[in-house]
Amino acid sequence: MKQPVTARQLTLDRIRAATPSAAKDASQLAEAYAALPRAYIRRGALSAQARIELMIQRLREYDAEVVECAPAELANTITTQLATSGRHLFVAPPGTPNEWLVTSAWKITGLEWTIDHGLAIDEHEIEKAEGVVTAATCGIADSGTIVLHHSAIEGRRVLTLLPDYYLCILRASQVVETLPEYFSRCQQPPVLATYISGPSATADIEMTRIKGVHGPRILVVIVVRDEVENIN
Amino acid sequence: MNHAASERVCLDPRFASPFPQAALPMLRNPQLRKNVGHAIDVIQAKRGKLVAEKTDWQELRSAASAIRTHALENLGAYLEQFEARCTAAGGHVHWAADAAEARQIILDLLHQENATEVIKIKTMTSAEIQLNPFLQAAGVSVFETDLAEIILQLGEGEPSHIVVPALHINRSQVREIFARTMGLKDLSDDPKELTNAARTYLRQKFLTVPTAISGANFLIAETGTVAVVESEGNGRMCLTLPRTMISLVGIEKVLPRFQDLEIMLQLLARSATGERMNPYTSLWSGVTPGDGPQKFHVVLLDNGRSSILAKAKERQTLKCIRCAACMNICPVYRQTGGHAYGSVYPGPIGAILTPQLMQMKHAQSLPYASSLCGACYEVCPVKINIPEVLLELRSQVVNQERRQAGRFFDLMYLGLRIANLIFATAWGFHAAQRMGRIGLRFFTRKDGWIHALPSLGAKWTQTRDLRGLPKQTFHQWWATRAKGGK
Repeated sequence: MKQPVTARQLTLDRIRAATPSAAKDASQLAEAYAALPRAYIRRGALSAQARIELMIQRLREYDAEVVECAPAELANTITTQLATSGRHLFVAPPGTPNEWLVTSAWKITGLEWTIDHGLAIDEHEIEKAEGVVTAATCGIADSGTIVLHHSAIEGRRVLTLLPDYYLCILRASQVVETLPEYFSRCQQPPVLATYISGPSATADIEMTRIKGVHGPRILVVIVVRDEVENIN
Repeated sequence: MNHAASERVCLDPRFASPFPQAALPMLRNPQLRKNVGHAIDVIQAKRGKLVAEKTDWQELRSAASAIRTHALENLGAYLEQFEARCTAAGGHVHWAADAAEARQIILDLLHQENATEVIKIKTMTSAEIQLNPFLQAAGVSVFETDLAEIILQLGEGEPSHIVVPALHINRSQVREIFARTMGLKDLSDDPKELTNAARTYLRQKFLTVPTAISGANFLIAETGTVAVVESEGNGRMCLTLPRTMISLVGIEKVLPRFQDLEIMLQLLARSATGERMNPYTSLWSGVTPGDGPQKFHVVLLDNGRSSILAKAKERQTLKCIRCAACMNICPVYRQTGGHAYGSVYPGPIGAILTPQLMQMKHAQSLPYASSLCGACYEVCPVKINIPEVLLELRSQVVNQERRQAGRFFDLMYLGLRIANLIFATAWGFHAAQRMGRIGLRFFTRKDGWIHALPSLGAKWTQTRDLRGLPKQTFHQWWATRAKGGK
């Protein structure tokens, strides 16, 4: 592969020749970067209650179904949602808490779970699942965005993509108002991340918005009111 | 779809007709103009509403402009940083000086994988290097997965917009294409049903084709991360299901740090589709064991970009984040649609990008495909002063023409040289005005307008009317006023 090496040198030489005013070293570069203007809004102004309400409103605008519950009611709420989903085969990431994995509790019979331990199941098995349940990293109220960093409780990327029904569990304390607040919460940039703002959609035919092209067509979000409980 | 019309569309700037000629069939196609006008009205209304609710829109634009300018000024350092971090994370970085090198690198990678099929996420950069026909000719079947791209691929059409590439095609035309190529005779023209047909058509491809090609919206130097912004989920499918992923990215797409996305993502979706955020954004750094493709390649493409970087006024062209806000607001694009630009990059940004990517050897008519109204600059989320670059490129085109050997046989050139001599003195100028008033009287109709001029003058009156000269010049009026006239 000798050609790419020379192309690399050629391109970098051209770039260097084109940018005589470039920073001379790393510290100069960092200094120039630090001096860049950032006068845009970096902190939200809403109360905790209003922030959660905005998040819920945005999600509903995306046609997502939103249910609120207290932390103690979470398992029951999951049960109710899955029972009324009309689906039976579910997948969940390996870090899912046991109490979320409703089986024959309550009035439901026939709920089946597959836990995605990665190596044991392949995409075709995830494809067969009718729904998926995961946690999230963050919620951004301003745009109604759900952030996944794909930890053990959020699952690998394909898990929240193939099943047609996605139940996402978001804690109120994870919700920020603005996008910059999410970025300032990230201590370390994530290796993988997916930002979901409503179900998969297209407007490619006459700008008519159609829900559900390839990703899940149904998005249900349970907002667990942990933060508000602590504040009150 | 009208096949005669689609055959005429050429998006290779080396062979495309000059803009005024290429625009004529579009201007005469009422269906196309209706489709384009409708799509643009919808996007514009949504964009306007969401930009208005952002009280810090101008501050976001300023920050984005400054970051893009800084990234370009230090492009060498940031690209090397990206390369080092991406490689450390398990990715492979390749460099391509031009389109031919990029195509060959990608084909070689596909050969290493023994790939006979490849799925693609929409990438204008791959259209720029004409990747699909090259791969098809080399025996690799290419499957586009973005709905608009499927419509174009199956209908053998060309993109006319960089965000909504099939906006010139309406639902009944899509129905016709899908019914014919997918063998679905009973398909209706309901967009929902058409979208479902595409979903079914692609599902097996996603699950079985092991190699994918994407573009990228941003590269993050700090982390070696690649960002892809999309709506449908076809991107996520291609980014997670295949074993091998190849991302073709222009060298200008790099951002210094992860945090810079907090600005870019707020601007991009609002400007592009009039959404607060696009449905799906994917970020990945190299290879993650157990999640997604286990082989990842980035092909960094120069293809003329470094020569744009070298020029002071033109450099800002490379700040572009491909949101298409400039074409959505452009009064010229609205009338002609995208195909008239003879490039995969239409609209105002295409009018400055295309001739520069062609080293000013082709597409010289594009800098003139503008009324210089400045609306594109006003909406640009990264503050590219497109009119300024248009004027700069026009002056380059004029300078090129000035040096051409055949110029003394060109009526326009000779006419302007003579005008130059006459207008150089006040005496000559006034004489010319008097002559003009007498001469033009024959062509001025009763309504005070000139509708048709002969010879060179027809270049103006072909497409617009000219107001007849007034009875008095301002100078004459001023002189009579000083003497007590009215």
